[in-house]
Amino acid sequence: MNVNKPSVSQHDAHRRQAYDEPLWWGLFSAGGVCFAVIMPAVILFIAVLLPLGLLPAEALSYERASGLLFSIPGLLFIGAAVCLPLFHAAHRLRHGLFDLSLGNDTLNKKVMYGLAALLSLLALGMVVAGMLN
Amino acid sequence: MDKSTLQRLPPLKRTWWLKHRFFKLYMVREATVLPLVFFILCLLAGMISLLQGPDSWQGWVAFMGAPIVLLLNLLALIASLFHAATFFVLFPRVMPLRIAGRSLPDQAIVAGQWAGVLVVALLFLWLFGRA
Amino acid sequence: MSTDHLQTNHFQTKHISVKRYLPDSSAEPYWQQYELPVDDSTSLLDALNHIKEQLDSTLSYRWSCRMAICGSCGVMVNGIPKLGCKTFLRDYEGEIRIEPLSHFPVQRDLVVDMEIFLEHLAAVKPYLIDDNPVKPYDPKAPETYQQSPEQLARYKQFANCINCGLCYSACPQFGLNPEFLGPAALTLAHRYNLDSRDHGTKQRMTELNRHEGVWSCTFVGFCSKVCPKHVDPAAAVNQSKVESAKHTLIALFKG
Repeated sequence: MNVNKPSVSQHDAHRRQAYDEPLWWGLFSAGGVCFAVIMPAVILFIAVLLPLGLLPAEALSYERASGLLFSIPGLLFIGAAVCLPLFHAAHRLRHGLFDLSLGNDTLNKKVMYGLAALLSLLALGMVVAGMLN
Repeated sequence: MDKSTLQRLPPLKRTWWLKHRFFKLYMVREATVLPLVFFILCLLAGMISLLQGPDSWQGWVAFMGAPIVLLLNLLALIASLFHAATFFVLFPRVMPLRIAGRSLPDQAIVAGQWAGVLVVALLFLWLFGRA
Repeated sequence: MSTDHLQTNHFQTKHISVKRYLPDSSAEPYWQQYELPVDDSTSLLDALNHIKEQLDSTLSYRWSCRMAICGSCGVMVNGIPKLGCKTFLRDYEGEIRIEPLSHFPVQRDLVVDMEIFLEHLAAVKPYLIDDNPVKPYDPKAPETYQQSPEQLARYKQFANCINCGLCYSACPQFGLNPEFLGPAALTLAHRYNLDSRDHGTKQRMTELNRHEGVWSCTFVGFCSKVCPKHVDPAAAVNQSKVESAKHTLIALFKG
């Protein structure tokens, strides 16, 4: 039967402590809660009812949307509806790539969490920019 | 025991998850993040348009109404509910809650989380349901 | 006793396909079909014993207690890991395909090499560790360990593991990376970490808090579905993630 034997040095590398994993798993879990609890309503109202014209005309007018988003509650909203779900998605995509034996995990990890961090900063930065305007 | 003498099988083929319904459902659960990412990218585009001014914002609302965008976002809505259904049942297993020394029944924790979904939806209704 | 019970106990003939592997005569595994009489009480282990005794003495498989406590007779039944003694042929219509447990090297027929599982098990020190042991017959020795029912309840479920290895065959993460400590070993680590008499958490954490420790688990959850003793290893592993995270945070602040 087809059997592999790994080298000893390869095995020693596996003894390393994963100090970063609790952080990624914590962000994944928090993002998972946000995805499950708040995203259904967010997607329903912003991506379904709004474009279908089923909301009152002024509900998300330019003035109202700017007022709601470019504020401290708006900043918190973006943290819960963009940043944390992004880290949740990054974690699942990273593990999904491993499940499908695509790429290598060390690189996948950097790309996925890196992109999540970058887009999160962009989103939070935009809210701050809007508040300063 | 010298670890290097142990036999190792080659890793699973990448099609392993097609062999059983349970694994296919697992992959669907993991794939719920794909439409989620699409919606978040839409949301980021909306924020950019909001910074650019009223015309740009109206353009974004029109973009969100394009059939393919609407369809993908409807998929994201279904994905979020499927994710919720799979995620809520895991919570009491990962963090069994105890109140006054007695553990809460799993169904109560799951029901509590669905109540959370409802409360958020009502909050949105209160916020956007009137002009 | 009513005769109804006897009437439902009808005999019939069923076909079982067994994946044979005899390295002495053939390099590749092959399927072999057996036809045997079964009734409502015939377990898969009974069927294998029937084949061995009446039909084909060359068939190899492991078994011992025939009552789901020794954990020796694990095999794949139509692709799902099961204990032979706890699986009844009355529940199967049509094809019954028996294979050795997945994700382990096959030695012969249904006999697999479980050494890697035993190695992972030993790595997490699945026994009580006391950091302040007393010498035997020490007059200053503390009284016998006492444990309240509440303290017992914390780990009792996770102590029911019989080391049958079904969860390893159910776990794709172990199949993808055999260095992953896997469901049963991580569950037993958690079971001892939860025990009020134990002081070995710190030693076990260096094993758990590795990429191949708790962090390789993606909560597929199939391990808990196939566990014949309802241990719920997936819950134990993920509770261990919380503990591992706490441990890392504490280590961070202590420097």
